[in-house]
Amino acid sequence: MRKVYITGVGFITSIGNDAVSVSESLRELRHGMVQYPPFQKPDVPVKVAAPIRDFQTDTTDQEDWVFPARYNIRREILRGMAPHGVYAYCAMLQAVEDAKLTEADYSNPATGLYAASAGSPFLLGYHLERMRKVGVMRCPPLGIVASISGTVNFNLVSQFKIKGASTGFSSACASSAHAMGFAYDEIALGRQKRMFVIGAEDGNVESILPFAGMRALSLQTDPSIASRPFDVARDGFVGTGGAVVLVIESEEEVARRRPKVYGEVAGWGQASDGHNVAISHPDGEGLRMAIENALKYSDIAPEDVDYVNAHATSTPIGDISEAKALKAIFTESPSRPAISSTKALTGHGLSLAGAQEAAFCALAMKEGFIPGSAHITNLDPACAGLNIIRATLPQRPNVVLSNSSGFGGANVCLVFKSV
Amino acid sequence: MAQSVNTHSGVTLKPFTAEDDTNLREALKRCSAATYEAAAQFRKTGNTEHLPAIVLGIIERYVEPDLRAKLKDADDDLRVIEDLGIDSLTMMEIVILVEDVLQMTINNEELRHLRTVGDVKTFIECKVRGLPLPKPTKFIPIEQIVSVMPIQPPFLFLGEASVNAHGANAKYKISGQEFFLQGHFKDNPVLPASIMLEALGQLAVLFLIEGQVGEAGKTVDHRTIFFTSCEGVRCHRVCRPGDVLSLSIKPKRLKSPLATFEGQIRVGQEKAAIAEEITLTFGFAEEVAQPVPQVAPAEQPVALNPAKSAVNA
Repeated sequence: MRKVYITGVGFITSIGNDAVSVSESLRELRHGMVQYPPFQKPDVPVKVAAPIRDFQTDTTDQEDWVFPARYNIRREILRGMAPHGVYAYCAMLQAVEDAKLTEADYSNPATGLYAASAGSPFLLGYHLERMRKVGVMRCPPLGIVASISGTVNFNLVSQFKIKGASTGFSSACASSAHAMGFAYDEIALGRQKRMFVIGAEDGNVESILPFAGMRALSLQTDPSIASRPFDVARDGFVGTGGAVVLVIESEEEVARRRPKVYGEVAGWGQASDGHNVAISHPDGEGLRMAIENALKYSDIAPEDVDYVNAHATSTPIGDISEAKALKAIFTESPSRPAISSTKALTGHGLSLAGAQEAAFCALAMKEGFIPGSAHITNLDPACAGLNIIRATLPQRPNVVLSNSSGFGGANVCLVFKSV
Repeated sequence: MAQSVNTHSGVTLKPFTAEDDTNLREALKRCSAATYEAAAQFRKTGNTEHLPAIVLGIIERYVEPDLRAKLKDADDDLRVIEDLGIDSLTMMEIVILVEDVLQMTINNEELRHLRTVGDVKTFIECKVRGLPLPKPTKFIPIEQIVSVMPIQPPFLFLGEASVNAHGANAKYKISGQEFFLQGHFKDNPVLPASIMLEALGQLAVLFLIEGQVGEAGKTVDHRTIFFTSCEGVRCHRVCRPGDVLSLSIKPKRLKSPLATFEGQIRVGQEKAAIAEEITLTFGFAEEVAQPVPQVAPAEQPVALNPAKSAVNA
């Protein structure tokens, strides 16, 4: 099995649109929540979201969209994109630059791209409405590729002339963690030398508010406490969007190109709850098995783990399930690994979450810090015994786990090692 | 009460309400103001004179800004895909907007052959007025020119050519290897003016052979085409090896046995030569060409081309 390293990252997130500002936000626990203007209506009980700054993508006509001047996107590319397609394109440019890749490096049969998003309910809704109103033959020809799930891989694979493996992943909030895991496999098994991993979401009215129906969203009006995983008063998650891209490469490519290295992807594991379509297993059984598998495949003992970036989204049931799974894993030394949920800062990015948090772990390993779990006033007693850190620690974690859980009880645990 | 009115241009006119106007403005919001004005006038009056401005305005809106200059001083031979970078998906966007603005329906099949801006304009005009669609522009590569022309190298002065009902265009690059340049002039190769005129004449021959004479069912016999006269020939620019001549001819009168054309040669944007009239004489083939029945040798497989086999059977 070949070793796999993270060599590049790109961020368009609610806590920053480049690695430098994201890193600052993580260290200083600066959150990205606001009272989101489109939610400020009497019939919308949800008030807070964590939107993307410096982009305007709230109209159905892509040519009206506004994005930072450093990104120049031609109309013929833009017309096939959802809002999160634009975020992903920009994050991809950052990652390519960060990893110092030339087109020859990434446009070849040994470089692939795995992506995850839920598509764009916003654009899909608009196109279906238009189809009903003006007829099927008057719909924009690229309406489908801009709006259905898979839009991120369709767009980026063609725009960056990717020639290797490409597909999308759909396991809701575990999607981009699955993408990362399977991308690791491609390199570890020698099928690819390099993979791009992308998680992205629109993070707008249409992608966030449907979760209100299942009572999964926080109804807090104060942006500074709306997302507070592990706090006893947590009342649901805060929606966000954006895009994060990671570049991972084989040890041979790292030896050949000599890029900077954020850390090693040591392995991963997955397991399913087999329990409920939308509610996590009360004892976190699937997640526990996923972590066990991840540690086994990575050949790492629980007591060697320094930091766990938790999935914890700030929902009453989900956070407890994860706490129980972690207690079941770290029986020998439950207080050993530092645990935090960076969703207290970013909100929950759904398909974006796994890749986003993997890239946060990459920054933590490279720069030597462990981000704290923000907004906890009263720790939920169910978490007693776990080392949930409330402030950022100024030390490099050597072994890091990143958890993700999605609908249907899909659970993924990614394992990273500092270099 | 809403009523449809037939204008003498053949356009069925529907009432143009304030709501229609709002929708039209919205649909054309990224086009020039002139495009909207032309569209509003067309919708109110049915006057087809507005169609070129509407169609060009809509095409312009979908052309990347750095290529729009090409459209500004374009002739009808500007190619939609090759010159303007418009792909089939963008063509579809153009069609959808044209349909919306002109209140018409266009089938995918009809779009296949639209290669130039002129094709698109003619197509839309015919559709709106309910006229039969003309033959689209035909592009003829050099190999095909050589195979159909009675004139052959080293005396053939046409490269790639395109022919439609309104005329023909061709390019010819002066290679410097032309035999007569050795003596025209001594140590100073210049394309003879008589050769420029010859090249225009050859393009007119191609136009006749490609069946654009307009007398149905008849084909021009290439052995009957000869030069008769020319008028108003003026040369404006010396042409030398390396220059690419853009040749164009347009028919002025076509009536057997005479065909009169006007011709022009440009090098880039510079005018090189014009001929106000070039007249050729021509005749039709005595009878419409029939496929000569071939007796296939017994051992030869005859089912290779099912369509042909069916005809032969």
